[in-house]
Amino acid sequence: MTGAVAVPRPRRVELPAVLCTVVLGVVAFCVVFPVVLVVLQSFQVAAPGQPARFGLDGWRAAFSEPGLRGALLNTLTVTFVRQLLSLPLAVLIAWLLARTNLPGRGWLEFGFWAAFFLPPFTVTLSWILLLDPEYGLINTWAARLPLVSRGPFDIYSFWGIVWVHLVTGSLTVKVILLAPAFRNMNAAFEEASLVAGAGTVRTALRITVPVMAPVILSVLLLGTMVSLQTFEVEQVLGLPFRFFVFSTMIYDLLVTRVPRYDAATALGVTVLVAMLPLVFMQQWLTRGRRYTTITGQFQNRPHALGRWRLPTLAFVSAVVVIVLGVPVVFALLGTFMTLFGFFNVPAPWTLNNWKTVLTDELFLRALRNTIVLAAGTAVAAVLVHSLVAYIVVRTRYAGRHALDIISWLPFTVPGVILGLAMLWLFLGVDALRPLYGTTALLIIVGVVSGLPLGVQIIKSGLLQLGGELEEASRIAGASWWVTYRKIVLRLMAPTLLAVGMIMFVGAARNIGSFALLTTSANRPLSILQLDYIAQRKFEEAVVVASIIMFLSLAGALLARLLGLRGSVG
Amino acid sequence: MTVLRLDGVIKVFGMVRALDGASLEVERGEVFTLLGPSGCGKTTTLRLVAGLERPDAGEIALRGRIVASVPRRVFVAPHKRNLGMVFQSYAIWPHMNVYENVAYPLRLRGVARGAVREKVTRVLDLVGLAGMETRAATLLSGGQMQRLALCRALVYEPDLLLLDEPFSNLDAKLREQMRVELKVLQRRLGVTVLFVTHDQIEALSLSDRIAVMQRGRVEQVGAPRELYERPASAFVRDFLGQTVILRGRVASGPAGAVSVEMNGGLTGRILARRAAPGGALPPGADAHVAIRPEDIEVAPAEGPPPKDNGLPGVIDALLFVGDRYEARVALGGGQRIMLLLPRAREWREGQRVHLGFPPDVVSVWPA
Repeated sequence: MTGAVAVPRPRRVELPAVLCTVVLGVVAFCVVFPVVLVVLQSFQVAAPGQPARFGLDGWRAAFSEPGLRGALLNTLTVTFVRQLLSLPLAVLIAWLLARTNLPGRGWLEFGFWAAFFLPPFTVTLSWILLLDPEYGLINTWAARLPLVSRGPFDIYSFWGIVWVHLVTGSLTVKVILLAPAFRNMNAAFEEASLVAGAGTVRTALRITVPVMAPVILSVLLLGTMVSLQTFEVEQVLGLPFRFFVFSTMIYDLLVTRVPRYDAATALGVTVLVAMLPLVFMQQWLTRGRRYTTITGQFQNRPHALGRWRLPTLAFVSAVVVIVLGVPVVFALLGTFMTLFGFFNVPAPWTLNNWKTVLTDELFLRALRNTIVLAAGTAVAAVLVHSLVAYIVVRTRYAGRHALDIISWLPFTVPGVILGLAMLWLFLGVDALRPLYGTTALLIIVGVVSGLPLGVQIIKSGLLQLGGELEEASRIAGASWWVTYRKIVLRLMAPTLLAVGMIMFVGAARNIGSFALLTTSANRPLSILQLDYIAQRKFEEAVVVASIIMFLSLAGALLARLLGLRGSVG
Repeated sequence: MTVLRLDGVIKVFGMVRALDGASLEVERGEVFTLLGPSGCGKTTTLRLVAGLERPDAGEIALRGRIVASVPRRVFVAPHKRNLGMVFQSYAIWPHMNVYENVAYPLRLRGVARGAVREKVTRVLDLVGLAGMETRAATLLSGGQMQRLALCRALVYEPDLLLLDEPFSNLDAKLREQMRVELKVLQRRLGVTVLFVTHDQIEALSLSDRIAVMQRGRVEQVGAPRELYERPASAFVRDFLGQTVILRGRVASGPAGAVSVEMNGGLTGRILARRAAPGGALPPGADAHVAIRPEDIEVAPAEGPPPKDNGLPGVIDALLFVGDRYEARVALGGGQRIMLLLPRAREWREGQRVHLGFPPDVVSVWPA
């Protein structure tokens, strides 16, 4: 019992409005302003270097040219098919992991968590080894079977792209978001159904899934938003057969000799507008649950799988092998191949790739850049994200709702467009121009693109912390600043470190946001591997990709050890 | 000397007036309790005193210093008010051990290292936590956490100690024990306490004075016995303890006493020496006769009936609850009352009884 007013409300503190305004201003400048620039640019039709002239040519081009229309259509089809295939599978696996007595479910869930951190680029290269139409291992094995004349699979196809998406982001992110949600559901709903005479399967379908419908829908929307941001998979697999989605199209429009800024930005704005309703719907769906803390009052007795135990275990393990084992093993194998993808040449194995890359001046500079970039992003993100989250959750600052919405905005902005917007910001504002081509610029981009996730994690941490620990410090005689340092930061340390690790990983593997912003001076590893691919140097690319993969996995492991669980929906 | 004064304080949350013009004065050395149901504004009052909320109107003064005033545009931050507070959740900082939790406020005040050690040791000793200095705060039991929270709030000798439902997270046995400990400690240190609770037993047993609150307003302020025996409103009467209500009509109202004719099939009269606050009722008006159940005299019907102010009844349900019986007695005319019966005698369902209502403890209220 509390004596408070019946409506539960978060505890609020007073924080100097100046500080809040500065934070709001800086964040708005780095997030909103570039987006506005992109929107303006889509109406600016003069060629680069010419005086500005405004018109609708770009928009006309974006919607009339078959190539652009095709890219939009491809984006929608890939997104739709990905979600259609991954959602039922993810719901099934999450339910098995969270609510049944599946053996080793803790480890299997950890497998999905680790797989979520694999860089899509690395995974793509691994699957090329298996599914290349000519040399892919699976195809050559299949060709040996009777009645099969040639390998049946082609990774350079629509279904190849969908497959790689399925095994990279689509499935794993849903599983790691849904499993905790299923686990926290009150078991009484299911027990009542079981007592009423329904079996386990019927209970799952008629009770568990409907009860969880808002969560599932919210995860689906998140997944769709992530899908729309896709870049590197299509860049590697789609280019050989001229298959574009909007992000690779934008990239293509911008890196050609005569960049079509107007058409590229018009396309970008279209996607941005398409994303907004998804974001608002997702926010609306999660609003009601935002202040619920996990109490763990109810007992969750897992459903017995009975004779299905072992087949189920085999099934889920196979999925983990596909999403985690295969990419790791084959990426590593690929680094030792004389000719990437060719298992049948004489002397297929070599250490030369590692030697070449590790002694390459370009690589060493990129490695340095990546370490500075990732570490810098981690530190800066923790500072900025924690301030934003704190202001949103704990203060009465008038602009806190605006700040909350802005912190979500980068989620709607696909990486390539964010990069484009930042390019405009830093080339358009004179005072910022010296930053172009520096790692500092990439750090800013990294902090901005990580804003939604970082703020969300810290916000939920703060909400679970409760306000009384801070209030006790204030009453004991500590000012706000002392309280923030000695109580809030100390108690949030594990969460903040975990956010730092996630931002480190994100910055190390981010391609889409950086692709347009790098020069030879500030090029990180993630862009270097892309450049290697463009030069058809697959052997070098896969070495770099493996290095990034191990950086990512190490970061994921550290974040996990620091106690972060997949409850960030 | 007045330690705390609230003057017409209003606090609004959205559409809700959590506090609607509260005025109070707390004297030095007393335990002053804010008592009321959930949502009555008592916690809001406490948080306003602490400086964790800003008032929307009115003034708050601590030891004569204005700490929050809307007309004068004054607001003193919580850390500059020299208050101690024990939170409902205790708010023991989990990243500090027992010693560090208590030492924290002293260090903030720049107390010298040696003096910190001495003060912390003394206050821990006071509540029986001596020797636990290096224990991790998260390894304490509920009762120990509460003692630690108390230590942390008392160690710097605050002007006023705020207690926000401090016993609500303890089990019943421990709660009784802590209640006694707190009372003894408070008497020993002479600290002024502002105590918030919704539990009337806690309020009655610990307080020097109680303010009963309802819907953001102070209904009545007074010593526990005064509130219990002479409630100023029906809300206070019913919130504190049990009340038996009988419906009837005023028969006559001579000076200093009212006689009420019972309603329905129940014939008989009750004489009350006290009319409700708010003036005498005219003859013929509908009235409620109120009495505390423990004040009703119950005797088996076989014995001689009480001389006056008595009503006959039949026990229609009897519950043995250990130290006594709880009985529902039908009085006829559809009126039923709950009573407590002593264990010393045998009672049975269906038994006829005589109920005596001593005129001095019966009061009459408008219906």
